[in-house]
Amino acid sequence: MIERQLTLIMENKPGALARVVGLFHQRGYNIDSLHVDPIDDFTQYKFIEDELSIKFSKGEVSRLIIKTTVGDALMRQILRQINKLIEVIAVSDNESTYLKGILRDENLL
Amino acid sequence: MKLAGNDILIQSLINEGVEYIFGYPGGAALHIYDSIFKQKEMQHILVRHEQGATHAADGYARATGKPGVVMVTSGPGATNAITGIATAFMDSIPMIVISGQVQSHLIGTDAFQETDMIGISRPIVKHSFTVDHQSNIAQIVKEAFHIATSGRQGPVVIDIPKDLTNPDDLFDYEYPKEVNIRSYNPPLDPELSQIERVVEAILNANQPVIYAGGGTISSNASKELIELNSYINFPVTNTLMGLGVYPATDDKFLGMLGMHGTFQANMAMHNADLILAIGARFDDRITNTPDKFAPNAQIVHFDVDHSSVSKIIEADIAVFGQVKNSLQAINSLIKERLNDIDNSKIQKWHSQIAEWKNNHGLNHDLYKDKSDSKPILPQAVVQHIYHASKGNAFVTSDVGQHQMFAAQYYHFDEPRKWINSGGLGTMGFGLPSAMGVKLAYPDEEVVCITGEGSIQMCIQELSTCSQYKLPIKIFNINNLSLGMVKQWQDMNYDGRHSSISYEDSLPDFKSLVESYGHIGIKITKNSELRDGIEKAFSIKDKLVFVDVYVDPNEHVYPMLVAPNGSLKDMWLSKGNKT
Ligand SMILES: Cc1ncc(C[n+]2csc(CCOP(=O)(O)OP(=O)(O)O)c2C)c(N)n1
Ligand SMILES: [Mg+2]
Repeated sequence: MIERQLTLIMENKPGALARVVGLFHQRGYNIDSLHVDPIDDFTQYKFIEDELSIKFSKGEVSRLIIKTTVGDALMRQILRQINKLIEVIAVSDNESTYLKGILRDENLL
Repeated sequence: MKLAGNDILIQSLINEGVEYIFGYPGGAALHIYDSIFKQKEMQHILVRHEQGATHAADGYARATGKPGVVMVTSGPGATNAITGIATAFMDSIPMIVISGQVQSHLIGTDAFQETDMIGISRPIVKHSFTVDHQSNIAQIVKEAFHIATSGRQGPVVIDIPKDLTNPDDLFDYEYPKEVNIRSYNPPLDPELSQIERVVEAILNANQPVIYAGGGTISSNASKELIELNSYINFPVTNTLMGLGVYPATDDKFLGMLGMHGTFQANMAMHNADLILAIGARFDDRITNTPDKFAPNAQIVHFDVDHSSVSKIIEADIAVFGQVKNSLQAINSLIKERLNDIDNSKIQKWHSQIAEWKNNHGLNHDLYKDKSDSKPILPQAVVQHIYHASKGNAFVTSDVGQHQMFAAQYYHFDEPRKWINSGGLGTMGFGLPSAMGVKLAYPDEEVVCITGEGSIQMCIQELSTCSQYKLPIKIFNINNLSLGMVKQWQDMNYDGRHSSISYEDSLPDFKSLVESYGHIGIKITKNSELRDGIEKAFSIKDKLVFVDVYVDPNEHVYPMLVAPNGSLKDMWLSKGNKT
């Protein structure tokens, strides 16, 4: 078990954060720390805009950073479960990223 | 067009092609009910308990493939719907649940009949919406239907505060033609490279099994599965949720697998060198101890949900996509390789399976014994129902021994005909789900095989059946007890029967159903069984409730040995295991 960092880009909608936090509890995963803020400057994530061919306006999406201590198999499960949340646009761990449901083998976030 | 929130909601449902709404009114939903009153396109079915509404919508969805629609009021209406939402969620059934909510300005004040429906339902929905403005209602409905019916399907809740359905405030209405949720993109087509790997695995297998589950039904992929197997001739087993997706009367069908699966299905899985898992999720009732599951098998897993794959059993080849699309892709590759298929290679395997079936397969001829010297066997009841309904009925069930007997002994040749709560195991599901099926298919035979325990969990719906004249056939496999619990107590607790009987306080079901205007038949002897069941089927225009008293000491076998057993470890009869 090692400490891992997950980064999520998700719609900044009421209840969205509760779904992420609820999922950890529901599936028996633990959250070591959690940080969330709306994204004002989107330069870093321009590739997401390109990929989705849209333009995000200020405050429309949030970035979540979650730290959790788990093994490899469980990390993969967590990533896949988070990917299933409808409001999650992208989620990554150290090695992979789900961007709009499609898996990439690198941490793009 | 300008409409008020309540009319926008109802008009949106009409635009979605909804035929039936299953529901129950109350304060927070009154404006909506007024809109329902004013329209003619949809019929509202007034149930007797919101749990009944969710199961009825669920039965409708399972039988038709279209989403079931539920309407409830806030507070107790919403909480009563929870069991049915969880039931649909566990089996990935498309459902839209609209719950009234207290007025926006009262939210958070512990107002009368306020409950946090979004919070309570969060872990058991695919997604949920709170309506924040009338002008968003149509878009939300459109998105809700899209989410419920795409990818891995599931229930979606729409919570709508009462003030947003106020008939006096008018807004522009146009139902969206298309929907695109920028953060949601369920997989559709598989990766071709994976499909090529699967084809090689198929061609190389000596001891293969197809293990197909409910996902194959959700994906409407029965035809593709049958086509695939017409080329490769593999033995096929179905999960409890998958029954009917491959014809049960086909000679390559092994029966159901798992906890109460057939001997040959479980043995074939255990000894397989290749398992094609199609729309199935390696539930703990299937794998027994995961570490001991199919030790020599290469696992190919087809699923639309990434999180289902390698969750319990590591997949060697994962194929993400709609099962239908994936099977189509396999079929078109296999068709080019027909010359490479060597059917003789798996002949020994087929003979081995035939031998297992011969030695310990289920006895499908129990119904032939008409002697009154022994009590009625519950298995024989199901066999009679199968023959009397010519194998064509929709069969809903509840939870317990009767459910397992129905799954084991009714041969389902088509998908969507076997309707039961597999994932959650919800007692009370059978009767209301049968109502939903009957409304969808009024000319088809709809049978509910239930137990005297389960039927009493939603028995109030007998009243709904008389109101809407739903002539379903209910067979109550009456063993005077919570039979499945009793079986576990027999096997694991030295027969200490803790809280499983109510023998002296059961209602006389015949008079009970007659008081609702239905027909009751009571059967206590083997010699009356066949005629009684045939009589029930001969009555076309009335609900018939057949109360059959069966041997209260019967157990369901085979049964996996747990804990620590593998799929080859089964109880085959009382005191006798492999
Ligand atoms: C709502 C609910 N409560 C409890 C259970 C646990 N349970 C599973 S089977 C069973 C007994 C069911 O009795 P009955 O309907 O008479 O069926 P039988 O096993 O006797 O055929 C019980 C209590 C359940 N599945 N669902
Ligand atoms: Mg019983």
